[in-house]
Amino acid sequence: MSASQEQETPLRDPASTFFQSDRVRRLIIASYWVVILLATPLWWHTTSIERLSLPTAQVQYQAKTLLSFPIAIRLDPSLVQDDPSITGKLQQFFDTKGGQWSGLSIHVEVGSEAGMLSWSAIRFVSHESSRLFEHPWHVFLPHLADILATLLVPYSSDPDREYRIAQYSPRFRLSFTLLNEDAAAGQVITGWDLTNAIRHHVDPIVTALSILHNFTIESQVQFHAPLAFKPQALDNESFGLTPEDLTVFINSAEWTLSSSSSNDPVLHFVLFVPSSVRKPLVILNPDGSLSHSNSFLIPQWGGVMIYNPSDDSSPHRYLSSADLDTLFPAFSNQLLALLGVPGLHADVRISPDDNSLLSDWQLDALLRRRAFENDQGAKDTLRSTVKLVDQIENMPVGQVVRDDVWDALSALKKMHFVSANSLVETMRLSADAATHASRAFFNPGMLALLYFPPEHKYAVYTPLFASAMIPLIAAALREFLAWRRQHQQVANT
Amino acid sequence: MLWRCCLVLIGALCTPVLSKHLSNEEFREQVSLQTLQDGRVASTFSFNILLKDATPREPRTLIFDDESQHYNLFPLALGQILREYAVTELHLTLNAGKWNYDSWGYPKERDVGTGAALWAWMADGGPTSIDYRWQGLRNALAGLFCASIGSLDEQRTTSPVLPFAPEGSLPDWGVEHELRHASLASEHVCTENLTPFLKLLPCKSLSGIASLLNPHRLFDADWHGMGLHVLWNPDAGVEVRLAFQLVSDPLRISAGKKQDWSFSTLFDRTIERTCPVAQSSIVDVALPREALYNISPEPPRIDQNVAFYDLTNMSEALDVKLKWALDFTYPLDPLKITSMPISVRRTLQGASQDRGQLSLVIKNNAPFPLQVLYLETMPWIVQFYLHTMRVSSDTSGDDFISNISYVPSVPHSRPATFQAVLTLPTESTVYLTIDVTKAFLRYTEHPPDAQRGWDLPPAIILPLSSSNAIRSEFVGRIYTPPLLVDLATPDFSMPYNVIVFSCSLIAFIFGNIFNLLTRKFVVVRLGSQQGTSKSKHD
Amino acid sequence: MKTPSTVPLGLVFSALVASRLLISCTSIHEYLIHDHQLSSPLTSFLNLKEGIYLFNNGVDPYSGGVFRHSPLYLSLFTTILSPSRIIASLLWTLCDSIGAWSMVRIWRARNNIVQSSRDVLVAALYFLNPYLFLPSLAFSTSSIENAVSLLAIMFACERRTSASLLALAFLVQLSLSSVVLIVPIILLLITSPISQLVSPRPFSGKWTQSLGHVFELAIYVLVLTLASTLVSGDFLWISQTWGASLTLPDLTPNPGLWWYFFTEMFDHFRPFFLMVFSVHLLIYIAPICIKFQYDSLYATFLLVGVLGIFKAYLTLSDPGLFLSMISLFPEIYPYFRHPIVTSLLHLHATMLLPLFHRLWLTQGTGNANFFYASTLVFACANGAALVDCVWAGLRIAIGEQVDGYAVTQE
Repeated sequence: MSASQEQETPLRDPASTFFQSDRVRRLIIASYWVVILLATPLWWHTTSIERLSLPTAQVQYQAKTLLSFPIAIRLDPSLVQDDPSITGKLQQFFDTKGGQWSGLSIHVEVGSEAGMLSWSAIRFVSHESSRLFEHPWHVFLPHLADILATLLVPYSSDPDREYRIAQYSPRFRLSFTLLNEDAAAGQVITGWDLTNAIRHHVDPIVTALSILHNFTIESQVQFHAPLAFKPQALDNESFGLTPEDLTVFINSAEWTLSSSSSNDPVLHFVLFVPSSVRKPLVILNPDGSLSHSNSFLIPQWGGVMIYNPSDDSSPHRYLSSADLDTLFPAFSNQLLALLGVPGLHADVRISPDDNSLLSDWQLDALLRRRAFENDQGAKDTLRSTVKLVDQIENMPVGQVVRDDVWDALSALKKMHFVSANSLVETMRLSADAATHASRAFFNPGMLALLYFPPEHKYAVYTPLFASAMIPLIAAALREFLAWRRQHQQVANT
Repeated sequence: MLWRCCLVLIGALCTPVLSKHLSNEEFREQVSLQTLQDGRVASTFSFNILLKDATPREPRTLIFDDESQHYNLFPLALGQILREYAVTELHLTLNAGKWNYDSWGYPKERDVGTGAALWAWMADGGPTSIDYRWQGLRNALAGLFCASIGSLDEQRTTSPVLPFAPEGSLPDWGVEHELRHASLASEHVCTENLTPFLKLLPCKSLSGIASLLNPHRLFDADWHGMGLHVLWNPDAGVEVRLAFQLVSDPLRISAGKKQDWSFSTLFDRTIERTCPVAQSSIVDVALPREALYNISPEPPRIDQNVAFYDLTNMSEALDVKLKWALDFTYPLDPLKITSMPISVRRTLQGASQDRGQLSLVIKNNAPFPLQVLYLETMPWIVQFYLHTMRVSSDTSGDDFISNISYVPSVPHSRPATFQAVLTLPTESTVYLTIDVTKAFLRYTEHPPDAQRGWDLPPAIILPLSSSNAIRSEFVGRIYTPPLLVDLATPDFSMPYNVIVFSCSLIAFIFGNIFNLLTRKFVVVRLGSQQGTSKSKHD
Repeated sequence: MKTPSTVPLGLVFSALVASRLLISCTSIHEYLIHDHQLSSPLTSFLNLKEGIYLFNNGVDPYSGGVFRHSPLYLSLFTTILSPSRIIASLLWTLCDSIGAWSMVRIWRARNNIVQSSRDVLVAALYFLNPYLFLPSLAFSTSSIENAVSLLAIMFACERRTSASLLALAFLVQLSLSSVVLIVPIILLLITSPISQLVSPRPFSGKWTQSLGHVFELAIYVLVLTLASTLVSGDFLWISQTWGASLTLPDLTPNPGLWWYFFTEMFDHFRPFFLMVFSVHLLIYIAPICIKFQYDSLYATFLLVGVLGIFKAYLTLSDPGLFLSMISLFPEIYPYFRHPIVTSLLHLHATMLLPLFHRLWLTQGTGNANFFYASTLVFACANGAALVDCVWAGLRIAIGEQVDGYAVTQE
């Protein structure tokens, strides 16, 4: 630049003005950036989605850990004396089994009297004073193994039974409903002495299973409960329900059976009284013959019994305790089946001095089954939760969800720890784990931002930030470069 | 440990013994038909189920498992809800249409406010707060009745204790009882609400009086509404009253000038079978006072100009018919028009979308002065300017308004409650006006049909019984028709446009100032011949 | 000090006050009092009256959503004054007079003169500015805030430190956005109000002094906050008054940029953009104060202009104050780049705003976008004025325009 030109300028030299100095300019640019940097935590605070980290590795690790119950089978020394090889043969038999047996690690040994009180000990004895079960001693090995199988893993044998069992829940509502198909048609059952019937037939089961479930019992009577189909008229003035009819028997649109107030699963027991114009109502076998049973079970839902009152009775009838005594055993059997209580092997008899409803065999098998079910359920749910959170980046994960996941994990850990010692405790912990895991999975807070894709986010941010931040960044860069050049020049000279 | 035992004991004493047989439950049904002044017919169905010697659940027992509920007649679905949330008294009404007090008089079922209204008395002291249980109750009833009661959230919940005093008794548990009230004027009542209602009845709609409830005719009526009322009486027990009320117009059905009606013309049904479990089953028909008529079948009992039919011993289908000898003439005598002690008119004036004026005109028809309680529950979208309230009358005097209580509304959370006592001089009209502003909502807060406007809940006028000479039948809530308020709407398609426009403008001004403050000034010499030549002063 | 030339000012001033009072005694305020452009929910006289009514009747006015005024107004109107028509007319006329008189005093302080022929013009421009005149007729409390902020500036110009800081503390109580003015006014206290625009030079005041001022201001603010808490009984007023200008709970339309933006904002981004809009106001303080460190009064003036565009719950009186304050700086007039464009934009906006507001809300023939668009035009007009003032304030240092040369920025 030539100096002569400058002298001609009548204007003041802008460079000489105070505010044009580098220091002022850099201070201004810096002050913009200071405010922006100070506001960054606020930015983070106002836009962050609460997304706590989940213990993925632990979930994966737990998913691989299998629940296993050690079971010691102690053979009576007298038995081994007769056939010393029986121990080895039995052990070999159990070792080669898979499938349902996989969760049981069975150890066959010759027991001494002292160790027989341990909870998992099985005493197999041949003489009459057997405490657990008795059996003629000239038993073949396969038959012995078979008996042990029905005692230890009764669920392996019958997939149909397995399908009926209601999913585990710590609480169940048992809902008893007396349905008059059409009370106005002539005969009406106005009520039933349910309290006594429940005391005699349901309470023992409820008490026996109280370590597994809590039960709430409720009942109602309905006077108009039409069927959704017409039962087929039979020759002998009776009406029949075919197996197809049974599948659509429950007319949930017209009958108000469901409980709306709580989330506990409900097991329904329906005593159906057909209209007096459609009486007696009987159940037919698939081949058309009369079934000898008047009740049927709807898997995982409940049981239905059809009650045909005699014609001679008065138009208003009240079912007394004695009447119900003939009807309720069927309900208690259905209840046992729905809750998964296994039957005993025909050859196994509970010793006569034991008058409880369920043998320890049945209860232990049920506890093991429920523990496996819950353990599997909890692990699957946890895995799905972690996977889902992993896949969807916008999914918020709050403290509640994380706590639930951690609680489920710690319950699983404790469960493995106690599984060798206490079956009841193991079951309880597995139930805890399953409850926490599913509560975490269904937490409504996780859905909050599921439908706000990242593209929208850019569309919201860009208009202000692209246009306001670019000059700021450019100015900062330019100043930085200018400063470095100056610095180098100073260094070079 | 001791207190826990005591609690268990208290719980055991207070909880009902519901598991006795039929003698512990009673079902009574009744339908009353009445010809109204304008020729219409009001039918009121009422179904009472009494659970003898039962008490509501005490909230403190909510920490324990509830004992078994065994019912024969009482609806289990309702019992579960009442016990789950420990509700002492519950009222739910679902009405459609405007009850025309001036020509129809007081309704038999008093609560005729348009839309849905729910109120409940609940005791405190439970493990969860009353508001938490109130929310649960709303959701449970919404599920039971397929109605949008669940949306009666804290934005609509108030606690106007005076006009909604308990109808039964409140048990003395040593804890406070509180009221929660919410209403939704825009609720449309239809068949999907009636079906669950009928399912709560022991005989559904298949026998007894309820068999007249034919949805096709009910929802065709000029006015219809249903109600559920649960209350406790220490001498009787827990009482559930399910009510259905409708006003049909036989003049419209008959297409003539005759106001004749029968069950078959009104409901397209007759009562063919009795409900076998009903303790009593009564049809009563108010007979015309000053006209020639013929009623068939011949009523077994007539008492004070009301015909009674008892259905318990019915042998054949009942189809009550009422025929008039003469054509219907509309009563022109203005004195005869209204039997109401007061007439109320409420309007929201002003065409602007940002403000208006609420005006209440209330006329005392009675020959004596009256005191009424005036309750206004206003969602926060309409805010009162209470200082602009003016009360005047066509007669001289002042102090028409007293005992004002006001809970201001909070945007996005709480409605306003305005309550005052109005003194109405003999046969005079009192005018009350309040200026209001209308809120501007976020675009996400508008309903899908935003241009339709918002329904404001009805105001409630309650004649106070303390006024002398007022007949007991005139003590009941009077509901004004709901109002429709027109709120200003934003353009719902604009979010991104607004973000882009506003942000660009801000960024433009911001960038300009930034440049002015940071860029260097230079002097440029404008070339006279060959463009410009710059002169930098660095 | 009576000299003949002061008589015109005294005369004109009294004439202006009298006519102002006369007009406010007519029923014109009934047409203006509801207008969203003249009073926002934070400054509306109706809301103030409602709050006072509730307070007098034993209802906590801050428990509802209508009343968002400072508890100081509450104590003023419930003890000393009553919110009647006449009192309000007098009070608002008084506020306008204080504002105009402060303007005159600021003008005199800036030029370090006792009086000048321009006094009348400065006062008249404050009195007759429609942006200030109409909100005042509508009894918008923004007029009071304007008067208090002019008082704070005037006392600062006259080096009456405590008075200025007290006025500033009141101003912050009445409207939180005014914190933007704290820094330049404190700087003004330690420098001189005399125009330095022509010859910029580094900051000359003593920094240590400002620390004392900040401390004094903090004490005033604390005392007033405590007084407010005593008046209202609890701390609820803070979220209702100060919180309102940060969280925008009431979306009533106004000529500003916030209301429609947050009406249309997605819920998830609402807190973020509320933060951005609030921080955006603060980001101007440091750069403007640094650049104009040699003339703090000018920096104050520019920040008043920033508030007049970007404030939450803007009313016409906020940009009005900025526009009237231009009359204090006649030296920059020759350096405006586009005064015609700015005036035309203002003309355009002042015609569109009431028209579209009416079309949308009263007539129902327009929709919200109409009014939104006119607020954008209004923001453009204010932005153009502000940018031009920044330009002129800097440009003046380089000297008068010479033919053949142009001054520009690289």
